[in-house]
Amino acid sequence: MNDSSLKIYRLLLFVLIGGLVWTVLPFFASVIVMLIFSFLFTTIFLPSVDSLERKIHSRSFSVILIIGGTIVAFIWFLGSFATNIGAQIKQFSAKIQQDDFALSLEGLSNKAQTILPDFLTNLIPESDEIIEKSQESLSGLFQNMLSFLSATGSLFFIAVMTLIFTIILLVEYHDFKRTLVRFIPNKYLEVGLRLIYNIEQQISKYLRGQLMAAGSVALLSIIGLFILNQFGANMTLIVFIGIIAGFANLIPMVGPFVGMIPAILVALMNNLGSDVALAHQLFGVIPSPFYILDIIFMFIVVQQIDNNLITPILVGESVGLHPMIVMIVLLIGGTLMGPLGMLFAVPTAGVIKVILDEIQFISRNSHLL
Amino acid sequence: MKAIWENIFKKGPVNDPILHAIHQVPIFKHLNGKELNEISRLTHERDYRLGESIFKKMAPGEGMYVIIQGNVTIKDPDTGMVFAQLCSGDFFGELALLDEEPRSAMAEAQEPSKLIGFFRTDLLTLMHRSPELGNKILINLSRVLGERLRQTNIALAKKSS
Repeated sequence: MNDSSLKIYRLLLFVLIGGLVWTVLPFFASVIVMLIFSFLFTTIFLPSVDSLERKIHSRSFSVILIIGGTIVAFIWFLGSFATNIGAQIKQFSAKIQQDDFALSLEGLSNKAQTILPDFLTNLIPESDEIIEKSQESLSGLFQNMLSFLSATGSLFFIAVMTLIFTIILLVEYHDFKRTLVRFIPNKYLEVGLRLIYNIEQQISKYLRGQLMAAGSVALLSIIGLFILNQFGANMTLIVFIGIIAGFANLIPMVGPFVGMIPAILVALMNNLGSDVALAHQLFGVIPSPFYILDIIFMFIVVQQIDNNLITPILVGESVGLHPMIVMIVLLIGGTLMGPLGMLFAVPTAGVIKVILDEIQFISRNSHLL
Repeated sequence: MKAIWENIFKKGPVNDPILHAIHQVPIFKHLNGKELNEISRLTHERDYRLGESIFKKMAPGEGMYVIIQGNVTIKDPDTGMVFAQLCSGDFFGELALLDEEPRSAMAEAQEPSKLIGFFRTDLLTLMHRSPELGNKILINLSRVLGERLRQTNIALAKKSS
Protein backbone atom coordinates (compact mmCIF):
# COMPACT_ATOMS: atom_id res chain seq x y z
CA MET A 1 0.00 0.00 0.00
CA ASN A 2 1.49 3.37 -0.97
CA ASP A 3 1.79 6.41 1.28
CA SER A 4 -1.14 8.41 -0.11
CA SER A 5 -3.68 5.58 0.18
CA LEU A 6 -2.42 4.86 3.71
CA LYS A 7 -3.01 8.53 4.53
CA ILE A 8 -6.56 8.32 3.09
CA TYR A 9 -7.28 5.18 5.14
CA ARG A 10 -5.96 6.89 8.27
CA LEU A 11 -8.10 9.97 7.60
CA LEU A 12 -11.19 7.79 7.02
CA LEU A 13 -10.49 5.88 10.23
CA PHE A 14 -10.06 9.17 12.10
CA VAL A 15 -13.38 10.53 10.71
CA LEU A 16 -15.14 7.23 11.54
CA ILE A 17 -13.85 7.21 15.12
CA GLY A 18 -14.68 10.92 15.47
CA GLY A 19 -18.24 10.32 14.22
CA LEU A 20 -18.69 7.35 16.56
CA VAL A 21 -17.46 9.34 19.55
CA TRP A 22 -19.74 12.27 18.60
CA THR A 23 -22.77 9.91 18.40
CA VAL A 24 -22.05 8.05 21.64
CA LEU A 25 -20.86 11.07 23.65
CA PRO A 26 -24.32 12.38 24.74
CA PHE A 27 -25.08 9.04 26.46
CA PHE A 28 -21.91 9.26 28.52
CA ALA A 29 -21.76 13.04 28.88
CA SER A 30 -22.71 13.11 32.58
CA VAL A 31 -20.25 10.31 33.42
CA ILE A 32 -17.51 12.15 31.51
CA VAL A 33 -18.31 15.37 33.36
CA MET A 34 -18.12 13.47 36.69
CA LEU A 35 -14.77 11.95 35.71
CA ILE A 36 -13.36 15.30 34.56
CA PHE A 37 -14.43 16.92 37.85
CA SER A 38 -13.00 13.98 39.83
CA PHE A 39 -9.72 14.25 37.95
CA LEU A 40 -9.53 18.01 38.60
CA PHE A 41 -10.35 17.57 42.31
CA THR A 42 -7.77 14.77 42.48
CA THR A 43 -5.15 17.07 40.96
CA ILE A 44 -6.03 19.77 43.51
CA PHE A 45 -5.96 17.45 46.54
CA LEU A 46 -3.10 15.15 45.46
CA PRO A 47 -0.20 17.24 46.88
CA SER A 48 -1.95 17.58 50.27
CA VAL A 49 -2.79 13.84 50.39
CA ASP A 50 0.78 12.91 49.41
CA SER A 51 2.33 15.15 52.06
CA LEU A 52 -0.10 13.98 54.77
CA GLU A 53 0.58 10.36 53.80
CA ARG A 54 4.27 11.07 54.39
CA LYS A 55 3.48 12.14 57.95
CA ILE A 56 0.85 9.61 59.04
CA HIS A 57 1.96 6.71 56.76
CA SER A 58 -1.58 5.80 55.68
CA ARG A 59 -2.91 6.87 52.30
CA SER A 60 -6.54 5.93 52.93
CA PHE A 61 -6.58 7.81 56.23
CA SER A 62 -4.92 10.83 54.58
CA VAL A 63 -7.60 10.88 51.86
CA ILE A 64 -10.38 10.60 54.46
CA LEU A 65 -8.89 13.43 56.54
CA ILE A 66 -8.36 15.80 53.60
CA ILE A 67 -11.70 15.11 51.85
CA GLY A 68 -13.59 15.00 55.18
CA GLY A 69 -12.06 18.31 56.25
CA THR A 70 -12.95 19.93 52.93
CA ILE A 71 -16.55 18.65 53.08
CA VAL A 72 -16.97 19.91 56.66
CA ALA A 73 -15.57 23.33 55.68
CA PHE A 74 -17.85 23.44 52.61
CA ILE A 75 -20.97 22.46 54.61
CA TRP A 76 -20.09 25.02 57.28
CA PHE A 77 -19.71 27.70 54.60
CA LEU A 78 -23.00 26.78 52.91
CA GLY A 79 -24.82 26.56 56.26
CA SER A 80 -23.59 29.94 57.48
CA PHE A 81 -24.24 31.51 54.08
CA ALA A 82 -27.81 30.11 53.95
CA THR A 83 -28.51 31.33 57.50
CA ASN A 84 -27.15 34.80 56.81
CA ILE A 85 -28.72 35.21 53.38
CA GLY A 86 -32.03 33.97 54.87
CA ALA A 87 -31.90 36.70 57.51
CA GLN A 88 -30.95 39.25 54.85
CA ILE A 89 -33.87 38.27 52.56
CA LYS A 90 -36.28 38.33 55.51
CA GLN A 91 -35.13 41.82 56.37
CA PHE A 92 -35.40 42.89 52.74
CA SER A 93 -38.90 41.42 52.38
CA ALA A 94 -39.98 43.49 55.36
CA LYS A 95 -38.46 46.54 53.69
CA ILE A 96 -40.31 45.87 50.42
CA GLN A 97 -43.64 45.94 52.27
CA GLN A 98 -42.93 49.50 53.35
CA ASP A 99 -43.47 52.56 51.17
CA ASP A 100 -39.78 53.39 51.47
CA PHE A 101 -39.03 50.81 48.81
CA ALA A 102 -41.19 52.49 46.15
CA LEU A 103 -39.91 55.91 47.21
CA SER A 104 -36.30 54.80 46.99
CA LEU A 105 -36.77 53.32 43.54
CA GLU A 106 -38.48 56.53 42.44
CA GLY A 107 -35.56 58.48 43.89
CA LEU A 108 -33.09 56.23 42.06
CA SER A 109 -34.96 56.71 38.77
CA ASN A 110 -35.07 60.49 39.18
CA LYS A 111 -31.44 60.59 40.18
CA ALA A 112 -30.43 58.59 37.10
CA GLN A 113 -32.45 60.92 34.89
CA THR A 114 -30.73 64.02 36.29
CA ILE A 115 -27.25 62.50 36.02
CA LEU A 116 -27.43 60.96 32.57
CA PRO A 117 -27.30 63.00 29.35
CA ASP A 118 -30.64 63.76 27.62
CA PHE A 119 -30.35 61.13 24.90
CA LEU A 120 -29.97 58.41 27.53
CA THR A 121 -32.78 59.54 29.84
CA ASN A 122 -35.37 58.07 27.45
CA LEU A 123 -33.88 54.68 28.21
CA ILE A 124 -34.64 55.04 31.94
CA PRO A 125 -38.20 53.84 32.59
CA GLU A 126 -40.64 55.74 34.77
CA SER A 127 -40.62 54.90 38.47
CA ASP A 128 -43.98 53.00 38.27
CA GLU A 129 -42.53 50.91 35.52
CA ILE A 130 -39.41 50.19 37.57
CA ILE A 131 -41.46 49.05 40.56
CA GLU A 132 -43.60 46.83 38.35
CA LYS A 133 -40.53 45.40 36.62
CA SER A 134 -38.61 44.80 39.84
CA GLN A 135 -41.65 43.02 41.36
CA GLU A 136 -41.94 40.91 38.19
CA SER A 137 -38.27 40.03 38.30
CA LEU A 138 -38.55 39.15 41.99
CA SER A 139 -41.36 36.68 41.26
CA GLY A 140 -39.29 35.40 38.32
CA LEU A 141 -36.38 34.95 40.68
CA PHE A 142 -38.50 32.81 43.03
CA GLN A 143 -39.68 30.69 40.06
CA ASN A 144 -36.09 30.24 39.00
CA MET A 145 -35.19 29.21 42.53
CA LEU A 146 -37.93 26.54 42.44
CA SER A 147 -36.64 25.10 39.15
CA PHE A 148 -33.16 25.26 40.64
CA LEU A 149 -34.34 23.20 43.61
CA SER A 150 -35.79 20.55 41.26
CA ALA A 151 -32.43 20.35 39.51
CA THR A 152 -30.71 19.98 42.88
CA GLY A 153 -31.65 16.27 42.98
CA SER A 154 -29.58 15.35 39.92
CA LEU A 155 -26.87 17.78 41.05
CA PHE A 156 -26.68 15.96 44.37
CA PHE A 157 -26.30 12.61 42.56
CA ILE A 158 -23.51 14.03 40.36
CA ALA A 159 -21.81 15.53 43.45
CA VAL A 160 -21.93 12.23 45.37
CA MET A 161 -20.61 10.24 42.39
CA THR A 162 -17.86 12.81 41.80
CA LEU A 163 -16.91 12.56 45.48
CA ILE A 164 -16.72 8.75 45.28
CA PHE A 165 -14.63 8.88 42.07
CA THR A 166 -12.34 11.49 43.64
CA ILE A 167 -11.78 9.37 46.76
CA ILE A 168 -11.01 6.26 44.65
CA LEU A 169 -8.69 8.22 42.35
CA LEU A 170 -6.86 9.81 45.28
CA VAL A 171 -6.34 6.49 47.08
CA GLU A 172 -5.29 4.59 43.94
CA TYR A 173 -3.74 7.45 41.94
CA HIS A 174 -0.18 6.15 41.69
CA ASP A 175 -1.34 2.58 40.97
CA PHE A 176 -3.74 3.83 38.29
CA LYS A 177 -0.85 5.70 36.69
CA ARG A 178 1.31 2.57 36.67
CA THR A 179 -1.53 0.56 35.12
CA LEU A 180 -1.93 3.22 32.43
CA VAL A 181 1.81 3.12 31.72
CA ARG A 182 1.59 -0.68 31.32
CA PHE A 183 -0.49 -0.14 28.16
CA ILE A 184 2.19 2.02 26.51
CA PRO A 185 4.25 0.01 23.97
CA ASN A 186 7.98 -0.31 24.84
CA LYS A 187 8.87 1.90 21.90
CA TYR A 188 6.91 4.86 23.29
CA LEU A 189 7.50 4.18 27.02
CA GLU A 190 9.88 7.04 27.78
CA VAL A 191 8.01 9.55 25.60
CA GLY A 192 4.68 8.42 27.09
CA LEU A 193 5.94 8.89 30.64
CA ARG A 194 7.17 12.35 29.79
CA LEU A 195 3.80 13.22 28.25
CA ILE A 196 1.87 12.03 31.32
CA TYR A 197 4.22 13.93 33.64
CA ASN A 198 4.01 17.14 31.59
CA ILE A 199 0.19 16.99 31.46
CA GLU A 200 0.05 16.40 35.23
CA GLN A 201 2.38 19.33 35.85
CA GLN A 202 0.48 21.61 33.48
CA ILE A 203 -2.91 20.98 35.09
CA SER A 204 -1.57 20.96 38.63
CA LYS A 205 0.35 24.24 38.19
CA TYR A 206 -2.63 25.92 36.53
CA LEU A 207 -5.16 24.77 39.13
CA ARG A 208 -2.97 25.59 42.13
CA GLY A 209 -2.14 29.01 40.66
CA GLN A 210 -5.79 29.71 39.94
CA LEU A 211 -6.90 28.62 43.41
CA MET A 212 -4.26 30.82 45.04
CA ALA A 213 -5.25 33.74 42.80
CA ALA A 214 -8.92 33.11 43.70
CA GLY A 215 -7.98 33.15 47.40
CA SER A 216 -6.13 36.43 46.95
CA VAL A 217 -9.09 37.98 45.09
CA ALA A 218 -11.41 36.82 47.89
CA LEU A 219 -9.14 38.38 50.54
CA LEU A 220 -8.70 41.64 48.60
CA SER A 221 -12.47 41.87 48.00
CA ILE A 222 -13.13 41.37 51.71
CA ILE A 223 -10.60 44.12 52.55
CA GLY A 224 -12.13 46.38 49.87
CA LEU A 225 -15.68 45.87 51.14
CA PHE A 226 -14.48 46.44 54.71
CA ILE A 227 -12.93 49.76 53.62
CA LEU A 228 -16.18 50.71 51.84
CA ASN A 229 -18.03 50.01 55.08
CA GLN A 230 -15.77 52.54 56.83
CA PHE A 231 -17.20 55.10 54.40
CA GLY A 232 -20.76 54.09 55.32
CA ALA A 233 -21.55 51.56 52.56
CA ASN A 234 -23.49 49.42 55.09
CA MET A 235 -22.38 46.15 53.48
CA THR A 236 -23.15 42.84 55.17
CA LEU A 237 -22.10 39.23 54.29
CA ILE A 238 -18.67 40.66 53.42
CA VAL A 239 -16.81 37.35 53.89
CA PHE A 240 -19.31 35.42 51.77
CA ILE A 241 -19.30 38.03 49.00
CA GLY A 242 -15.50 37.93 49.02
CA ILE A 243 -15.42 34.13 48.77
CA ILE A 244 -18.02 34.15 45.94
CA ALA A 245 -15.97 36.80 44.10
CA GLY A 246 -12.88 34.62 44.57
CA PHE A 247 -14.58 31.53 43.16
CA ALA A 248 -16.16 33.51 40.30
CA ASN A 249 -12.63 34.66 39.48
CA LEU A 250 -11.83 31.07 38.45
CA ILE A 251 -13.75 31.76 35.23
CA PRO A 252 -11.41 34.04 33.31
CA MET A 253 -12.65 37.40 32.00
CA VAL A 254 -16.37 36.89 32.83
CA GLY A 255 -15.92 35.78 36.46
CA PRO A 256 -14.86 39.16 37.89
CA PHE A 257 -18.11 40.76 36.71
CA VAL A 258 -20.14 37.86 38.14
CA GLY A 259 -18.37 38.47 41.47
CA MET A 260 -19.68 42.07 41.60
CA ILE A 261 -23.35 41.09 41.36
CA PRO A 262 -23.89 39.78 44.93
CA ALA A 263 -22.11 42.83 46.33
CA ILE A 264 -24.33 45.23 44.36
CA LEU A 265 -27.47 43.27 45.34
CA VAL A 266 -26.54 43.38 49.05
CA ALA A 267 -25.76 47.11 48.79
CA LEU A 268 -29.18 47.69 47.22
CA MET A 269 -30.96 45.53 49.81
CA ASN A 270 -29.26 47.25 52.74
CA ASN A 271 -29.41 50.84 51.52
CA LEU A 272 -32.83 51.11 49.90
CA GLY A 273 -34.73 53.75 51.81
CA SER A 274 -31.63 55.60 52.97
CA ASP A 275 -31.45 59.16 51.59
CA VAL A 276 -27.77 59.44 52.52
CA ALA A 277 -26.93 56.34 50.49
CA LEU A 278 -29.05 57.62 47.60
CA ALA A 279 -27.22 60.94 47.56
CA HIS A 280 -23.74 59.37 47.95
CA GLN A 281 -21.01 60.52 45.58
CA LEU A 282 -17.87 58.61 44.63
CA PHE A 283 -14.82 60.74 45.62
CA GLY A 284 -17.36 63.44 46.43
CA VAL A 285 -17.75 64.17 42.71
CA ILE A 286 -19.36 61.32 40.76
CA PRO A 287 -22.91 60.46 41.87
CA SER A 288 -22.96 56.87 43.10
CA PRO A 289 -26.41 56.02 44.50
CA PHE A 290 -26.36 53.15 47.03
CA TYR A 291 -22.56 52.96 46.63
CA ILE A 292 -22.99 51.02 43.36
CA LEU A 293 -20.16 52.83 41.55
CA ASP A 294 -17.94 52.53 44.64
CA ILE A 295 -18.42 48.76 44.59
CA ILE A 296 -17.74 48.54 40.83
CA PHE A 297 -14.66 50.74 41.27
CA MET A 298 -13.43 48.60 44.19
CA PHE A 299 -13.82 45.38 42.17
CA ILE A 300 -12.03 46.95 39.18
CA VAL A 301 -9.12 47.89 41.50
CA VAL A 302 -9.06 44.32 42.89
CA GLN A 303 -9.09 42.95 39.32
CA GLN A 304 -6.22 45.22 38.30
CA ILE A 305 -4.15 44.10 41.31
CA ASP A 306 -5.02 40.47 40.47
CA ASN A 307 -4.32 40.73 36.73
CA ASN A 308 -1.12 42.75 36.96
CA LEU A 309 0.42 41.53 40.19
CA ILE A 310 -1.01 38.35 41.71
CA THR A 311 -1.86 36.17 38.68
CA PRO A 312 1.43 36.82 36.83
CA ILE A 313 3.33 35.78 39.96
CA LEU A 314 1.18 32.82 41.03
CA VAL A 315 0.01 31.45 37.68
CA GLY A 316 2.81 32.97 35.61
CA GLU A 317 3.09 31.50 32.20
CA SER A 318 2.10 28.07 33.48
CA VAL A 319 -0.23 27.46 30.57
CA GLY A 320 1.94 29.35 28.10
CA LEU A 321 -0.91 30.32 25.81
CA HIS A 322 -1.18 33.60 23.91
CA PRO A 323 -3.92 35.89 25.36
CA MET A 324 -5.66 35.85 21.97
CA ILE A 325 -5.80 32.03 22.07
CA VAL A 326 -7.09 32.21 25.66
CA MET A 327 -9.95 34.48 24.52
CA ILE A 328 -10.79 32.20 21.57
CA VAL A 329 -10.82 29.02 23.70
CA LEU A 330 -12.95 30.82 26.30
CA LEU A 331 -15.49 31.70 23.61
CA ILE A 332 -15.48 28.12 22.30
CA GLY A 333 -15.81 26.69 25.85
CA GLY A 334 -18.60 29.12 26.69
CA THR A 335 -20.50 28.29 23.49
CA LEU A 336 -20.16 24.53 23.97
CA MET A 337 -20.74 24.13 27.71
CA GLY A 338 -21.61 27.54 29.19
CA PRO A 339 -19.85 28.69 32.39
CA LEU A 340 -18.49 25.17 33.02
CA GLY A 341 -16.95 25.20 29.56
CA MET A 342 -15.31 28.54 30.32
CA LEU A 343 -13.93 27.16 33.57
CA PHE A 344 -12.32 24.18 31.81
CA ALA A 345 -11.43 25.92 28.54
CA VAL A 346 -7.98 27.22 29.51
CA PRO A 347 -6.64 24.07 31.26
CA THR A 348 -8.01 21.92 28.42
CA ALA A 349 -6.26 24.13 25.87
CA GLY A 350 -3.11 23.85 28.00
CA VAL A 351 -3.31 20.04 27.94
CA ILE A 352 -3.90 20.04 24.16
CA LYS A 353 -0.85 22.30 23.81
CA VAL A 354 1.30 19.83 25.81
CA ILE A 355 0.04 16.92 23.65
CA LEU A 356 0.74 18.85 20.43
CA ASP A 357 4.23 19.78 21.68
CA GLU A 358 4.95 16.12 22.47
CA ILE A 359 3.58 14.98 19.08
CA GLN A 360 5.91 17.51 17.44
CA PHE A 361 8.76 16.18 19.59
CA ILE A 362 7.94 12.56 18.66
CA SER A 363 7.69 13.32 14.95
CA ARG A 364 11.04 15.15 15.13
CA ASN A 365 12.70 12.23 16.92
CA SER A 366 10.69 9.36 15.40
CA HIS A 367 13.87 7.77 13.99
CA LEU A 368 15.18 7.46 17.54
CA LEU A 369 12.18 5.58 18.97
CA MET B 1 -0.24 -19.91 63.11
CA LYS B 2 3.09 -20.21 61.38
CA ALA B 3 1.62 -18.61 58.22
CA ILE B 4 0.49 -15.48 60.10
CA TRP B 5 3.84 -15.22 61.88
CA GLU B 6 5.68 -15.52 58.56
CA ASN B 7 3.35 -13.06 56.92
CA ILE B 8 3.95 -10.40 59.56
CA PHE B 9 7.70 -10.77 59.67
CA LYS B 10 8.28 -11.70 56.03
CA LYS B 11 11.36 -10.19 54.43
CA GLY B 12 10.03 -8.41 51.34
CA PRO B 13 13.18 -7.96 49.23
CA VAL B 14 13.98 -11.67 49.33
CA ASN B 15 10.54 -12.89 48.19
CA ASP B 16 9.64 -10.30 45.57
CA PRO B 17 11.89 -10.43 42.45
CA ILE B 18 11.42 -6.69 41.81
CA LEU B 19 12.29 -5.77 45.40
CA HIS B 20 15.19 -8.19 45.27
CA ALA B 21 16.52 -6.60 42.05
CA ILE B 22 16.09 -3.06 43.39
CA HIS B 23 17.82 -4.06 46.63
CA GLN B 24 20.97 -5.03 44.65
CA VAL B 25 21.27 -1.65 42.86
CA PRO B 26 23.79 0.73 44.51
CA ILE B 27 21.47 3.69 43.86
CA PHE B 28 18.95 2.13 46.25
CA LYS B 29 21.55 1.11 48.84
CA HIS B 30 20.91 1.66 52.57
CA LEU B 31 17.15 1.92 52.07
CA ASN B 32 14.86 0.10 54.50
CA GLY B 33 12.05 -2.24 53.47
CA LYS B 34 9.39 0.47 53.55
CA GLU B 35 11.48 2.76 51.34
CA LEU B 36 12.20 -0.04 48.89
CA ASN B 37 8.49 -0.77 48.75
CA GLU B 38 7.82 2.87 47.92
CA ILE B 39 10.42 2.73 45.13
CA SER B 40 8.93 -0.49 43.73
CA ARG B 41 5.52 1.23 43.60
CA LEU B 42 7.01 3.83 41.27
CA THR B 43 8.94 1.52 38.96
CA HIS B 44 7.61 0.02 35.72
CA GLU B 45 8.02 -3.65 34.86
CA ARG B 46 8.60 -4.25 31.12
CA ASP B 47 9.13 -7.28 28.91
CA TYR B 48 11.40 -7.07 25.85
CA ARG B 49 11.62 -9.48 22.93
CA LEU B 50 14.87 -10.85 21.54
CA GLY B 51 16.61 -8.10 19.56
CA GLU B 52 14.18 -5.39 20.71
CA SER B 53 15.88 -2.10 21.47
CA ILE B 54 15.32 -0.67 24.93
CA PHE B 55 16.55 2.72 23.80
CA LYS B 56 18.41 3.96 20.74
CA LYS B 57 21.56 6.04 20.50
CA MET B 58 20.86 9.81 20.58
CA ALA B 59 17.31 9.26 21.87
CA PRO B 60 16.43 11.66 24.71
CA GLY B 61 17.18 9.80 27.96
CA GLU B 62 14.42 9.56 30.53
CA GLY B 63 15.72 7.09 33.11
CA MET B 64 17.48 3.91 34.18
CA TYR B 65 16.71 0.20 33.85
CA VAL B 66 17.43 -2.75 36.14
CA ILE B 67 17.58 -6.22 34.58
CA ILE B 68 15.45 -8.74 36.47
CA GLN B 69 15.86 -11.53 33.97
CA GLY B 70 17.67 -11.82 30.63
CA ASN B 71 20.64 -10.25 28.87
CA VAL B 72 21.14 -6.75 27.50
CA THR B 73 23.91 -5.39 25.27
CA ILE B 74 25.04 -1.79 25.38
CA LYS B 75 26.60 -0.92 22.03
CA ASP B 76 27.33 1.76 19.48
CA PRO B 77 25.14 1.01 16.45
CA ASP B 78 27.40 3.06 14.15
CA THR B 79 30.66 1.25 14.90
CA GLY B 80 29.17 -1.99 16.22
CA MET B 81 31.41 -1.68 19.28
CA VAL B 82 29.96 -3.45 22.34
CA PHE B 83 30.50 -1.50 25.56
CA ALA B 84 28.93 -3.96 27.98
CA GLN B 85 27.03 -7.24 28.25
CA LEU B 86 24.66 -7.02 31.17
CA CYS B 87 22.67 -9.70 32.96
CA SER B 88 20.23 -10.13 35.89
CA GLY B 89 20.84 -7.65 38.70
CA ASP B 90 22.77 -5.20 36.48
CA PHE B 91 21.54 -1.69 35.80
CA PHE B 92 22.16 0.92 33.08
CA GLY B 93 21.11 4.40 31.92
CA GLU B 94 21.27 5.95 35.40
CA LEU B 95 22.81 9.18 34.07
CA ALA B 96 19.48 9.98 32.41
CA LEU B 97 17.96 10.35 35.88
CA LEU B 98 19.80 13.64 36.15
CA ASP B 99 19.79 15.21 32.69
CA GLU B 100 17.93 15.09 29.40
CA GLU B 101 21.04 14.59 27.29
CA PRO B 102 20.69 12.13 24.37
CA ARG B 103 21.73 8.52 25.03
CA SER B 104 25.39 7.92 24.12
CA ALA B 105 24.79 4.28 23.11
CA MET B 106 21.92 1.91 22.38
CA ALA B 107 20.62 -0.90 24.62
CA GLU B 108 19.28 -4.07 23.04
CA ALA B 109 17.79 -7.23 24.55
CA GLN B 110 19.89 -10.28 23.64
CA GLU B 111 17.15 -12.68 24.74
CA PRO B 112 13.57 -12.27 26.00
CA SER B 113 14.22 -10.05 29.04
CA LYS B 114 12.33 -8.63 31.97
CA LEU B 115 13.44 -5.18 33.06
CA ILE B 116 12.24 -2.58 35.52
CA GLY B 117 12.43 1.07 34.58
CA PHE B 118 12.91 3.90 37.05
CA PHE B 119 12.56 7.25 35.31
CA ARG B 120 13.33 10.88 35.96
CA THR B 121 9.61 11.67 36.28
CA ASP B 122 9.38 8.94 38.97
CA LEU B 123 12.36 10.44 40.81
CA LEU B 124 10.80 13.92 40.62
CA THR B 125 7.50 12.53 41.93
CA LEU B 126 9.37 10.76 44.73
CA MET B 127 11.31 13.91 45.63
CA HIS B 128 8.01 15.75 45.89
CA ARG B 129 6.22 13.01 47.84
CA SER B 130 9.09 11.99 50.05
CA PRO B 131 12.02 14.46 49.97
CA GLU B 132 14.03 12.48 52.52
CA LEU B 133 13.94 9.33 50.38
CA GLY B 134 14.57 11.38 47.22
CA ASN B 135 17.68 12.87 48.83
CA LYS B 136 18.98 9.43 49.82
CA ILE B 137 18.66 8.29 46.19
CA LEU B 138 20.35 11.45 44.89
CA ILE B 139 23.27 10.96 47.30
CA ASN B 140 23.59 7.30 46.23
CA LEU B 141 23.41 8.36 42.59
CA SER B 142 26.18 10.93 43.18
CA ARG B 143 28.30 8.19 44.80
CA VAL B 144 27.80 5.91 41.78
CA LEU B 145 28.68 8.71 39.35
CA GLY B 146 31.67 9.73 41.49
CA GLU B 147 32.90 6.15 41.45
CA ARG B 148 32.50 6.04 37.65
CA LEU B 149 34.50 9.28 37.33
CA ARG B 150 37.25 7.88 39.56
CA GLN B 151 37.43 4.71 37.41
CA THR B 152 37.59 6.83 34.25
CA ASN B 153 40.40 8.95 35.73
CA ILE B 154 42.35 5.82 36.65
CA ALA B 155 41.85 4.40 33.14
CA LEU B 156 42.96 7.69 31.56
CA ALA B 157 46.02 7.87 33.81
CA LYS B 158 46.97 4.31 32.89
CA LYS B 159 46.55 5.06 29.20
CA SER B 160 48.67 8.23 29.31
CA SER B 161 51.48 6.68 31.40
